[in-house]
Order: sequence, then C-alpha cells, then structure tokens
Amino acid sequence: MIHALLFLPALAGVLALLVPAWARLLGLVTTAVTAVLAFLLLQAGGVAGYTELPLLKEAGVYYAVGADGVGAVFALAISASVFLAFLAVREVPGRMLALGLLMTTGLLGIFLSYDLVLFYFFFEAALIPSLLLLGLYGGAGRVPALVKFALFTLVGSFLMLAGILAARYLGGAESFLMRDLLAHRLGGTAGVLAFWAFALAFAVKAPLFPLHVWMPDFHAQNHPSGFADVMGTLYKVGVFGFFRFAIPLFPEAFRAAQPYLLALAAITALGAAWIAYAQKDWKRLLAYGALSHMGVAALGVFSGTQVGAVGGLFLLAASALYTGGLFLYAGWMHRRFGSLELAPTHGLAKAAPALAALGLFLFLAMVGLPGLAGFPGEFLSALGAWQASPFWTLFGFSAVIAAAAYALTAYQRLFHGPPGKAVADLAGGEWAFATLAVLVVGFLGVYPKFFSAPLAEAARAFVAVLGGGQ
Amino acid sequence: MLLLTILLPFLGFLTLGLFGRRFREPAPGVLASGLVLLSFLLVVYLALAGGARFAVGDWLPGIPFALLGDRLSIYMALVVTGIGFLIHVYAIGYMAKDPGYSRFFAYFNFFIAMMLTLVFADSYPVMFIGWEGVGLASFLLIGFWYQEWKNADSARKAFVVNRIGDLGFLLGMALLYKLFGTLQISAIREAMASSLVLPAGLALAGTLLFLGAIGKSAQVPLMVWLPDAMAGPTPVSALIHAATMVTAGVYLLARSSFLYANLPDVSYWIAVIGLVTALYAALAALGQWDIKRIIAYSTISQLGYMFLAAGVGAYWIALFHVMTHAFYKALLFLSSGSVIHALGGEQDVRRMGGLRKYLPRTHLHGLAGALSLAGFPLLAGFWSKDAIVSATLSYPFGGVGFYAVALFTAFLTATYAMRWYVLVFLGDYRGQGHPHEAPPVMTLPNDVLALGAVFAGFLALPKPLWNLIEPYLAPALAHVEVQELSPAAEWGLLLVGAAVALAGIYAGYAFFSNYFRRRVPAWYQSFERAGEQGFYADWLYNTFLVNPAKELAFFLGLSDRGLDGGYRYGALGVAALGRWLARLQTGYVRFYALLVLAFAAVFAIWGVIR
Repeated sequence: MIHALLFLPALAGVLALLVPAWARLLGLVTTAVTAVLAFLLLQAGGVAGYTELPLLKEAGVYYAVGADGVGAVFALAISASVFLAFLAVREVPGRMLALGLLMTTGLLGIFLSYDLVLFYFFFEAALIPSLLLLGLYGGAGRVPALVKFALFTLVGSFLMLAGILAARYLGGAESFLMRDLLAHRLGGTAGVLAFWAFALAFAVKAPLFPLHVWMPDFHAQNHPSGFADVMGTLYKVGVFGFFRFAIPLFPEAFRAAQPYLLALAAITALGAAWIAYAQKDWKRLLAYGALSHMGVAALGVFSGTQVGAVGGLFLLAASALYTGGLFLYAGWMHRRFGSLELAPTHGLAKAAPALAALGLFLFLAMVGLPGLAGFPGEFLSALGAWQASPFWTLFGFSAVIAAAAYALTAYQRLFHGPPGKAVADLAGGEWAFATLAVLVVGFLGVYPKFFSAPLAEAARAFVAVLGGGQ
Repeated sequence: MLLLTILLPFLGFLTLGLFGRRFREPAPGVLASGLVLLSFLLVVYLALAGGARFAVGDWLPGIPFALLGDRLSIYMALVVTGIGFLIHVYAIGYMAKDPGYSRFFAYFNFFIAMMLTLVFADSYPVMFIGWEGVGLASFLLIGFWYQEWKNADSARKAFVVNRIGDLGFLLGMALLYKLFGTLQISAIREAMASSLVLPAGLALAGTLLFLGAIGKSAQVPLMVWLPDAMAGPTPVSALIHAATMVTAGVYLLARSSFLYANLPDVSYWIAVIGLVTALYAALAALGQWDIKRIIAYSTISQLGYMFLAAGVGAYWIALFHVMTHAFYKALLFLSSGSVIHALGGEQDVRRMGGLRKYLPRTHLHGLAGALSLAGFPLLAGFWSKDAIVSATLSYPFGGVGFYAVALFTAFLTATYAMRWYVLVFLGDYRGQGHPHEAPPVMTLPNDVLALGAVFAGFLALPKPLWNLIEPYLAPALAHVEVQELSPAAEWGLLLVGAAVALAGIYAGYAFFSNYFRRRVPAWYQSFERAGEQGFYADWLYNTFLVNPAKELAFFLGLSDRGLDGGYRYGALGVAALGRWLARLQTGYVRFYALLVLAFAAVFAIWGVIR
C-alpha cells in the first residue's frame, strides 16, 4: 500500500508526459487515490507499512520506507494540496501538470524514507521537476531566479551529503538506515560539524533567515496559475528535516545551537510578516507570508517540546493547504485581470461576493483565526516556544499583529472601496475548489485532533531523544 | 444545551450567509431575531436549571473543548442574548431597504454565536475562539458599508489594534500552560486554591491576559479603535461596541478573578488604567460633535469604571455595571440611531436640537438613557456607578485617591450626558430636515431598554436593603476580604454621589442649553478642539508608531533585496576567482611542470619547518 502511495504519482506523471491531454484527470484521480491510501495509513498507527529492502547491501543503502504519524499526516496533506491544485487550474500546459505529479513522488518520499541515502535521493528527485517547472513555465525573470534557487539548494544538498556520510562512517553505523544511525550517534566536534551541515541544508529548505533569499523570486517567477507555487510550498521541508533527521541524530549539537536557531526562527517569523506588508504583488505577498509561517513552525520544533513539535508540524502541514490555496487563488486573479498586481481594481466585493468571501476565508486561515486550520499549529507552537524562550516567543509571535495588517490590507484593497471593474464571480468548477478548500481548512480548525493525535505520537520519540519537556 | 445556545445563531449565520439572497425582507431579520430569542430562552432555562457543563475530548492536545454554564457565564449570557435580541429587532427596522440586509443579519448572528462561545468557555483557548470571532464580527460590521474607504480603514484599524491585545492573551496562555500544564479555567482555579505557594511568573501571566482585556475593552492606551468603530451601522455600535463585545475584557478579568485576587500589584495597575481611561474619555466626550462619537467616548469611559471596579477587587460590581451599562448605553445608541434615521443620516449635533417636539417617544428614550448614564438618583446607572465609587474605599486594592478621581469623573459624566441630551433634544431645531418618528419595530425595543435603564439598578442596593447580584455571582468569583463600611457611611457616600451627579447635570444643562447663543470662553474652545481629536492620541500613534512601522516595512523589504544583492556579489566574486584560476590552464606542459615543481618545493619546505 505504501509503495503504491509512493510511486503511483510518478507512474501517472510518466503517463501524463506521454499524453498531456489527460494530465489533469490523471492528477485528480491519482491524488484522490493517494489521499485515500494516506488516510488508511493514518488510521493504521505506529510506523505503518514499514519495509526494509537492501538496494546496495555492500554500501549499506536500503529501500526503507514507512509512514509514522508524521509521514501519514504529510502524505495526506500533500495529496490534498496537489488535488486542490489540479482542481483549481484551468487551461494550463499538460506537461506542467505531469511534472507536478512526478514531483509528488519525490515529496512523498521525503516524508516516508527511513534511510538517509534514500531520503537524499527523494530530496534531490523532487528538485528536478521543481527546476523544470520554473525553467520551462516561469516568467520573464526565470533564469536568474532559477540559478539562485538551484545554487542555494545544491550547496545545501552537498553539505547535507557530507553530513550523511560523516554520520555513518564517523559514527560507525553499519548502514544508512535511520535505526542504525540512531543507535550509533556521532558526537563531539564531528557531530557538531555534521549537525551544521544538515542544519544549513534544512535552513535553505525551510527556509530560514538569512538563507531565504531564493524564495521570493522563486514564487514571483513561477507560472502565474499558482500550480508550481503549490508544489514549491510543499517542497519547504526544512522544518520537517530538523524534526526527523538533524535534531534526533545530533541532539547534543542541537542543544548547543538551540538559542541561535530559535533567534533565527523568530527573526524569520517577524521580519517576513513585516516585509509582506510592503508587497504589491500577490506572489511576493504570499511568499513572505508563508515564510513567516515557516519561522513560527520552526519556533515550535526548535523548542524541543512535545507540544511545540506537534504545533510546528501541524502548522507546516496545514499552511501548505491554505497558502497553496491562496497561490491558486492568485492564479484566478491572474486569469481575471491578466496581472498579479495585488489590487488591479477595488470594491470587488460588490460584483463578486463569493470570490470575496473565499479570499477572506483563506486569508483569515493564514492570519491564524481560531476555528480555522492556521490556528492549532500556531497556538501549539507558541505554547512550546514559550517554554524554550519567552523572549524569542514574544519577538517571533509579534508576527500575528503584522499578519493581520498585511492580510487585511491586501484583502481590503481589492474587495473594499467604491466598486471598480466588474469581473466574474465564482463560476462552475471554481465552486468545487472553493467548497473543498473551505471544508478542509475549516475541518482542520474545528477538529485538529485529526492531525495532532498522530503527530503527537511521533513527537513523543522526538522529545524522548532530547530528554524531557512537555 | 450549552452548545445549542451557540449553534442556533451560528446556524442562522450559515443559512443567511449561504442563501441570504433568496430571502425577501424582512425574513432574514425575523429569522435572526428569532434564533437569538431561542438562545435567550435556553439561557433562561439554564439559569433555572442551575447551570450545565459540556466538554468533548481533546480539541487540541490536552485541551478539551470545554464549556461551562455557571452563574457568571449565565449572567453574562443573559445580558448578551437579552439585549442582543432587542437590538436585532430594532435592526429589522433600521436596516430596512439596505442592499446588504441579509448579510447584516448573517454577521449579527455570527457575532452572537461567537460572543456566547467567549462567555461559556471553560478554557482559555476556547475563550480565544470567541475572542477572535467577535473581533472578526466587529471587523465585518464596522466595515459593513465597505464601499467607503473610511469605513474599511476603521474596520482594519479595529482588528489590528485588537491583535496587539490578542498577542498578550496568546502569550499569557503560553505562560499559564507552562505554570499549570493545563489551560482549563476551572482546573487552574482548583490548582490555585490547593497550592500554598503561588508559582513565580503568575503576575506576568496576569499582566499578559490584562493586555488582551485592554485591547478588547478599548482601555488606554489601546482605546483608539473604538471611536472610529462608529463607522458601522448604529445597531452594531449598540450591540458590539457598547453593550456586549467591549465588556469582554471585564468578563475576562472576572472569569480570572481567582488570579487577580492574588495579584495586588497587577490589580493596582488595572485600577489605575481603568481610572485614567474613565477620566480621559469623559474629557474627550465633551469635545465631540458627532452624536455617536459622544457616546463612543462615554463607552470607553464607562468601561474604565468597570476596570476600576475589577481592579479594586469588586468583581461583582464590575459585572453589575456591565449589565446596567448594557441597558442604558444600548438605549442611548439606539435612540441616536432613531435620530439619525429621522434626520436622513445627519450625525452632527450642531445641526440637531429641538427634536423633543418631532420625536416625542425617542426623546423619552434619550432622556432615560442620558439620566441613567449621568447617575440621576435611583436610576440604574446611579446605583451601579456609586457602588463602584464607594468600592474604591472598601475593597482591598482601593484607596482615597481613586475615590476622588472617580467622583470627579462622575461629575464630568453627568455633564457630557446632559450636553448630549440638550444639544439633540432641547432648544430649537438647527437643521434643514423634516424629522419623523421611527416605526414601532424600532421604538418598542427601546421601550424595554428604557425600563431596564431606569429600574435595573434595583437588583442590587446597598445594605441593609436587598442585593440579588452579589450572592448570585459569589460562587463563581474570587473571594476578597472587604472592609465593610458602616451603613451610615455607605449611605452618606451615596448622598455625596447623588449631589455630584445632580451638580453635573445642572452644570451640563445650564451651560449647553444656550451654548450657541453665548460667548464660549477661549480656553474652553481650545479644550473642546483638543477633546474632539481625542487629545491627539491618533496623531501620536500615527506619528510615532504606525507610520514608522509602515516605513520600516518598506525599508526591511529593501534590505531583503540588499541581502539578495550581497549573495549576488558573493557569487560573482566566486565566479571571478574561478576565471582567474582558469588562467592557470595555459596548455603549456612546461608551465604545468613548473607548477608541480613549485608546489613540491613548497611542501618540502613546509615539511622541513614542521
């Protein structure tokens, strides 16, 4: 089951490359199936479907996959996000969608791998479609954006590769399996260096200040439909990487680095939200808004507490849904106005009340309104972060004020004021996306236990490694 | 049952929000009002049944979705649904023929649902759902007429300013969670009662929660959003920005009284903030010319009184004032609404006057409301306000200084209340409209509110007469040691209070009944101008906080580009180094041989030295 979940999107992606006209349908069916499979894994509990097959036995590389609570939650969130993306887009190149399906397998692999080399493989495998999406379907300034994105990611990846090799060979593990590496932890100076190699790679991919500079251009230059942005949002796996690999493998090094990491996370959270206020373009606004969320999620995980880790991961999974939703929403705006300017007109609520309501709903989720999907993660992160550092919690969570300012300003500039240009309200298929997005985002806010319970189970081991904390 | 009281209006919100445009006027208004009435009846039933509890498992990890219908929440819910129902009915008439009629009632029902969530919550995060929910409702309703930028801006201002307080609430919860390992209010209360030593950091937690209350209840220094909130339709001002939502801060303090009763220092500052707010807003009210802004500042001032009461430890008196204030302030807003309605949208009191002749019924409502606010003896506002003023002398965290300022503010209150009444209803009509009385659907709710504004005070009278409220609420509030005043002293203070109120009423009447014909002294005119601007609070905020923050946003955005550029130059530097090193590839074997020799020599020398 877990193998079907993992490789079905890639199969469908290959098929869709051959027959681009089927891409959208294939995508919808595939991600619906993977969503069901992920749901079943979520219900199974434990590390569901754990499989260990030797790939290169001599080198100690295994095909080791399994879905613990975190893996299953993210598999579900990825499936749902990609499904929503396929639902929202119209009249886009089929091959672009095919690349999205190929990338989905890479993304799922990141969250389901229990072998570091396999993880590294998926981590890089997701990069190629991401680069192609930007390079083939991006905007006028895509080449510099591409180079920047590729350079940051690759430098981070090579450092991580060095860290992976060090973790095994200097630590004396028999293989690259996580259970082996955890049994032979690398300590001392070598451990600190290896930790930072991992940390830098994940800080690029979280992203965290000051390694985030690839991100605004990445989003601004990607295809205006928002499809590639959804995939890019799902690819921000750095916080998860810290949770699964960097921190459990090198707990001592993490403890030493914790104050600095908390500071970086808090600076990311507040700084990005503040900068978002000054943006005049949908993609840049959302890029900075999402960046701020990543800072908050990182605060939760870096707190090293049970509640904070659950919160950080929850926020990571949930924000993919509504941030992705907003990127797709921005794509609709582009279809209507031919530009991604934040407010090409004003007073739109009169002509398009349903469109306005959906926009407000998604923005409110982003602002962290309780009852919607953004709140549980943010709140639990705060509970955890306070236990680690009240100061950086206050600093980072001041972002909630800035978030209200940028989100409501953006919403009001477009929808309030005297009626301007009239455009079509939600129509036809857009209702399907709107209904589903509202249901999913609302459901996670009203019944967060659906995600938080499986996450909590996985977070207990994380906390046990660090020795304590609620 | 508890859940049902919340779900009924929420259902109304969903129905009207999704299918509102299919209903004809006044069906949405009737539906919305009916649902609130049902909620009210359910709350009455709960009150008679003696309370209820509701909880479902883990909403958040370790945090159940817990509701509690104890006496405190039922008392508050009665005010919310009772007054809420009357204002809903009034709005059926007031909002007639508005293109957003059903949208209005959808938001209104949403507000009631969220307010009840706030009130019934038995855990701080659940209260936070309601807390943010009513903030959202407030945002939506202030900006209800969103086609004017001014209204949209006021709505956003309210939300963002409130978020400052909400950050305090959020962090306060984080600290309480750290101290107690739970956020269930009744559990924290029990933990406090059974522990001998108070955990360190409790004062900080209390302060952070108090910050949340400051934002929601528009206390100094976060009061700037409330006057602008008058951009919403008048029923909104009455329901949200006078009777219910803005008292949520007081409710939070009362709900957490078991904390504050143990925190004398924090309580002292609550009282100080309340008193400063009461005085500041009473002075500012004297400078306002907009019929609604006068009452808005009055609301800020009265909320200050409630904070003063909660600060000195007189939690039940704060709640007593919440109730009487809800009656007379809703009445004042709704009669203002009738006046605005009658004058076709006019809000400037300089173009009113003499409306007693044209709007006899509304005139009586306005008079009852103004006198009750002024503390005219035996009316509702008199009993509750004097209870607060006297409490500064008998309750543990009070003091004589508090008493003096509170009494002086009471004088100002009576004066601006009379100013409002005189400028609107007495003298000659100074406008050009043709005023006409409001329809019964608007006057009938006001009749009921007027009864409350006159008689509600008789629920709690000083000793040796009866007091129904204090013993009713006592089990839900923290116990504080009161230095009982002798009945003689208490009634003496009451007489002093009555005299001050009457003096203020006379001063207001005498000064403003021929205000436009007399020469107003220059000092008073400049005071009036400063008061009209709220003593430049907005200007201070914009100059020193808001504009710098916006500038900083652009500056940070630029710096981020700068950082980007830094990496670019770094990358270009590496590329240049590469090109320079590439020049070593000359293609001449003799050059490579030389290089090999040179490096061999270097290594050899290094080896020798080592």
